[in-house]
Amino acid sequence: MKKVKVIFSSLVFTASLLMSTIAQADNIKIGVSFRMLSDVGYKHGMLIEDTVKMWNSQGGINGKKIDLTLYNDECKSEKGVANATKLAYQDKVHVIIGSSCSSVTLPMVPVITKAGVPQIIPHSTSSKITMTGSEYIFRVPVSSRFYKIVQGKFTAEQQGKKIAYIYVPDQASMVFAKEMIKYMKDEYGVDPVYQVQAGEKETDFRSYLMKAKAANPDVIVLSGLVDETVRMLVQSYEVGIPKSVHRVANSVASKVEVPTNAGKAAVGVVYSAAFAASDTRPIAKKFVKMVKSKYGVTPGHDFSQMQDLLDMLKPALEQVNFTGNLAADRNAVRDSIAGIRNFTGLASGPISFCAAGSPECRDGNKTPVMIKYTRGGKNWKTAVAGTVTFKPSEGL
Amino acid sequence: MEKFKEIIRQYPFLGFIIAFFILMAIPSIFFTDLYQSHLSSLIFINIIVAAGLNIVKGYCGQVTVGHVGLYAVGSYTAGCMFMYLGASLWITLPVAILVTGLFGVAFAIPSFRLEGPYLALATLGGGEAIRLFIENGEFFGSTYGISSISQPELFGITFDTPDKYYYISMPIMLIAIYFSFSVLRSSIGRAFMAVREDPISAAASGINVKKHKMLAFILSAMFAGAAGAVYAHLPPGYIHPNNYTVIEMVTFLAMVVFGGLGHIWGGIIGAVIITIVYDLTRPLYEYQLFIFGLTIVLTILFMPKGIGGFIDKYFIDRRFKKKQGVASK
Repeated sequence: MKKVKVIFSSLVFTASLLMSTIAQADNIKIGVSFRMLSDVGYKHGMLIEDTVKMWNSQGGINGKKIDLTLYNDECKSEKGVANATKLAYQDKVHVIIGSSCSSVTLPMVPVITKAGVPQIIPHSTSSKITMTGSEYIFRVPVSSRFYKIVQGKFTAEQQGKKIAYIYVPDQASMVFAKEMIKYMKDEYGVDPVYQVQAGEKETDFRSYLMKAKAANPDVIVLSGLVDETVRMLVQSYEVGIPKSVHRVANSVASKVEVPTNAGKAAVGVVYSAAFAASDTRPIAKKFVKMVKSKYGVTPGHDFSQMQDLLDMLKPALEQVNFTGNLAADRNAVRDSIAGIRNFTGLASGPISFCAAGSPECRDGNKTPVMIKYTRGGKNWKTAVAGTVTFKPSEGL
Repeated sequence: MEKFKEIIRQYPFLGFIIAFFILMAIPSIFFTDLYQSHLSSLIFINIIVAAGLNIVKGYCGQVTVGHVGLYAVGSYTAGCMFMYLGASLWITLPVAILVTGLFGVAFAIPSFRLEGPYLALATLGGGEAIRLFIENGEFFGSTYGISSISQPELFGITFDTPDKYYYISMPIMLIAIYFSFSVLRSSIGRAFMAVREDPISAAASGINVKKHKMLAFILSAMFAGAAGAVYAHLPPGYIHPNNYTVIEMVTFLAMVVFGGLGHIWGGIIGAVIITIVYDLTRPLYEYQLFIFGLTIVLTILFMPKGIGGFIDKYFIDRRFKKKQGVASK
């Protein structure tokens, strides 16, 4: 009797496992890996979850439900690689969204390329990522190769060429400062009047700022993560760098914490990004209102890029005829994403991809926008200082 | 069975050969996807670090919180040798072990004068200094990291996928464990324990305390170096200073504490369980760090000897009952 019970329960278990596999085989699987450490990071995750829930409540994509798997990579390459491997081989997702940090996305590329899973990047800007030549990688944000040009050109032609640079040892911050230094040298033949790499997690930048002040610059480039950017801005006034010296920051300045926490010190700061909350287009106004009411923050470009990514992905998935053959379906998803042309969403310019795995084809947004803070604090305001659309091969 | 046990006791190497063949067969029998191979390689790497950490902390009683820095030295020795010389794992591995061993000397010196929390602080500073030095050094790839580190080749096979790399990381892990067992079961291992229990008594018994502290740090560092090199070549071959922070160090310590400090299997059990639990709790990312913190606190409160302590207790109880049975007969 005991034996019969064991056999019966094993059969039931196997059958239920099979049933669930069959049921899940029909679903479209999306995997996500990005930095969900901060409050805003979690909110990006919530935005994806809410959007996918909405898709499912509307009947899914062509009648198929979406299974979402969300992993935190803590901005660490080891975890990003593990997540990508798990999503590709164990969770068997059709497409991966991620990551936030360039240092995590970069090592994910060979993993997803080998596995043949398309990956769309919501936030990472390092130009190195798409230069890997992978046919499976797509980038929604503006690449650092465009940022350096727009920022360099704007700074040199409108603000001055005597530039001091203070940057922190985070990849995006360093890439921004170093690429800008190189651009200024190559295009205008000017060297920095002062440049320094601050230590990791440093909180007092006054000694660097004093030295920068002594170099009498026209412009001071402050390239750091959120907390460091805020501190550098506030401390730049504490050490007496006058308002007439232009403050430039990297795209991190688009994050809500910067104007909120820097207060008055944020006024006049210029940065290049892919979205401005001051955008007057109805779509942007609606989005800002939605994020404010639902997530309690004014969205920066990380929020808008995530929303754009999801808005692009849905029609791309709708065009795929899912056959149940994972490799073929993944390739079909890749081809469908590669077919996106001139997607107009929240981003500063249209987003287009094409078939080749080259940076020209896979750096979707080629239109960075120059933004200036006109008011700091909780009710911060921005103004668009200029927009440029680049040729796909620019900056390579 | 008793005969088999006796043979293994006499020739412990035989046990490792059997384990090797079992572990060789596991992927083809149990693994259903490549991620399991990747996770296994991570487990093996963690086992090597934890086994080393168990030597210095569990056996020799030296509180080190900078081991992750030595792990980074191993990784970056391998990474830089690949980047500048194009060296493969077969060359980078022994060099990384040697270089990290030398760094172990530097970590050992403070232990001659410092103890407990003071030594912990000194080693913590050492570990962080190494990471910051790497992060700020362009020679080491700074915050860009080092990418595309090649995977090893053997008999015309390139071990460039997680399933193939399993067969590289697994034997290295077994060799490391065998070496760890050999050391800890030797007179050196007993001397380590004597130093841990009471350095003054150990010195009075003729044990050179300084020499053994130094030896423990060097051996332990060599394990970290080996693990670091194996990690650097793990597909896709990318290393970044962010992977060698205090959080990683706490995870290594959690492995040793959870497995059982000073227990010969402690680090190994801890590395396996912690890596698997970490993986299983991946979707619970909001609570993951909290779960880990809580695990360490609860382990220290209610299971100070870790799982290894339970295993010891089980065997002691069994032996005691057996003897009782014999006595009553």
